[in-house]
Amino acid sequence: MGLKGNAAIVGAAQYKPEKYATAPRMFHLEQVADLAGRALADAGLKASDIDGLVVHGPQFHEAQVFVPAMAAEYLGLSLNFAEVVDLGGCSSVAAVWRAAAAIELGLCQAVLCVIPSRMAPFGPDEDPAWMARAMRFGGHSTAFGAPEAEFDLPYGHMGQNTGYAMIAQRYAAKYGYDPVAMAKIAVDQRTNALANPDASFFGKPLTIDDVLASKMVAEPLRVLEIVMPVAGGAAVIVASKEVAARARNRGACITGFGEHLSFKSPTYAAEMTDTPIGPAAEHAFAMAGIGRSDIHAAQIYDCYTITVLLTLEDAGFAPKGEGMRWVREHDLTYRGDFPMNTHGGQLSFGQSGTAGGMSQVIEAFHQIAGRAGERQLRRCDTVFVSGTGGVMSEQGALILQGA
Amino acid sequence: MSTNKPLPMPTGISAPFWNGLKEGRVTIPQCKSCGHWVFFPRRHCDKCWSQDLEWKEVKGTGTLYTYTLTRVPTMPDFADEMPQKMAVVELDEGVRINTTLIGLDEAEIAVGMRLKPVIDTVATDGTALLRFTAADKDIPARIDSTPAALAAAAEKAAETAAAAPRRQVRFDDEAAMKALVSEDYSPWSSQVVVDQALIDEFARLSGDDYWIHTDPERARRQSPFGGTIAHGALVQVLQSRLTIPLDYEVVGFNNMVNYGSDRLRFPAPVPAGSRIHARSRVKAVEKLPKGMQMTLEIVTHVVGSERPSVINDLVILYM
Repeated sequence: MGLKGNAAIVGAAQYKPEKYATAPRMFHLEQVADLAGRALADAGLKASDIDGLVVHGPQFHEAQVFVPAMAAEYLGLSLNFAEVVDLGGCSSVAAVWRAAAAIELGLCQAVLCVIPSRMAPFGPDEDPAWMARAMRFGGHSTAFGAPEAEFDLPYGHMGQNTGYAMIAQRYAAKYGYDPVAMAKIAVDQRTNALANPDASFFGKPLTIDDVLASKMVAEPLRVLEIVMPVAGGAAVIVASKEVAARARNRGACITGFGEHLSFKSPTYAAEMTDTPIGPAAEHAFAMAGIGRSDIHAAQIYDCYTITVLLTLEDAGFAPKGEGMRWVREHDLTYRGDFPMNTHGGQLSFGQSGTAGGMSQVIEAFHQIAGRAGERQLRRCDTVFVSGTGGVMSEQGALILQGA
Repeated sequence: MSTNKPLPMPTGISAPFWNGLKEGRVTIPQCKSCGHWVFFPRRHCDKCWSQDLEWKEVKGTGTLYTYTLTRVPTMPDFADEMPQKMAVVELDEGVRINTTLIGLDEAEIAVGMRLKPVIDTVATDGTALLRFTAADKDIPARIDSTPAALAAAAEKAAETAAAAPRRQVRFDDEAAMKALVSEDYSPWSSQVVVDQALIDEFARLSGDDYWIHTDPERARRQSPFGGTIAHGALVQVLQSRLTIPLDYEVVGFNNMVNYGSDRLRFPAPVPAGSRIHARSRVKAVEKLPKGMQMTLEIVTHVVGSERPSVINDLVILYM
């Protein structure tokens, strides 16, 4: 069952995170082509090698439907496999395993996984206020008949902050809570970002006191424990063993994956502090046939510090309910005993919309390929990557291993 | 009455729940095949997939599964509830509900506490939301939070405050007048509901009938505020309808002249249906040949909102 590890990430590209207001405006098709070209050049492959596409479907500017066909046409590609993912922050991890599975099934040989996240130029009939309106309810559906429109919005339940805060609050009631340990997650990641010139917060050191003194947004989450939205976009190329042999980078083979979801609002979870990454990670490790201690680095989706904490526990790195003690006892920096989010994580790198999760995938690839610059780990052959969408709604895990 | 807070849009499937609340009852569907309670209401039992469901009245009591207190409103329109006491409640039947807590101090809230329902009417058509409070709280099982009802309650409080004795300051007593200058604001005034009817009336009087104020349908679709907003000038003049409880009273003058404004700003919108209130402070007092000039800074806010909707440095000349 599962993957044999015959598909690998061989090239990657991502825009440096920028403020939405000042980032270049590009059509999404244009970003797809630009990111694809950069990722292809990074891999050292030809456009004609690509015969598969996975693209993030929602909020694609130029089309609501038929996105892959439109993208293939724009790119000038002939595809044997085309897929849209709609898993929020889990989409990057989800795109990569879908590409690997399609390759191992023999459907295709090289897949472009791409998520554009810069804003598009506004047409004459387009209303610049649409974004403000779309964000008014923070990703909650307002459609007639949507359960969340009817049973969440009238009470003010919307967006992500309060959902994650309520998970954290329940965790606190069940297991206890240590704000210093939670702040340390953000601080260790910032230390990593100080070694990453592309990170939004490069050159801006952070202390635990800074985090604890930052504005409370929704108890117990403070603003420096919450990602900053930025414009960006990212792509990776996943290729078969044969194609990967021609690529110029050491490939990151996808040897295990898992995915799990069963609700949109964690209110309806069997137990909201037991997160979907549990079964997803279990599946990924079993498929790869390795254990937690075989991991050289973990790139953990970090929309909030609480996301990291629960992923560390439920993915099996820290004992359940003891994550805060575990975080205090481990050095999570690239110099530490448990290198985590070595690019700074999205908390310090910036969250470029749905492409934010790709920053974790790409950092894993760069570490395995030995291209992580100042923050390069001495030994990095095996990396755990997680993705999280919604309010801990959908989660996925990848095991990447050096070719 | 309009409000920019989202209201539930009952569907054919969910209508019995909302109709029940209007009548003061909490009703939840139960599966006739397996006995599983279903919430939110849906087409089928989410446990056994039977479509044979039955609406049953329940007590609505339960426990607090989790909660958070917001320090930043989840949407500007919820600023009057700060901090929002967002909660997930597990009913005794086992289903969980997203809701808010009311009538509780922050320190009284704890995961696992026993709760009882409070049915809260939020719109003039009787639409009610299901909120919760502590099981031992002496709070009516039904309350009225329509903007008009809340404004009326605030009016009463402001009247009581205004009836308190105030110290008298002679307008020509320069030292006493200057002593009124303060960095601190007065307590909040009474409240006025800025509803669509009032906005429409002002549009007619002023001739400013721009759609962002007067076309709720278009504003809902196209305005970044998700609905109509009041004219800044309307909110400015509504200051006359607000009673600010002051602890002083200027006396002894023959005439008081409104000299205009040194500064007039509209930093934040007032969505239709909002309640507004104001407070003031004496910013400056200057003796002029004609009389005593006072600069009174009046700030008008949407109730609960930190950012003022109107800042008005009103210049008054006492002669």
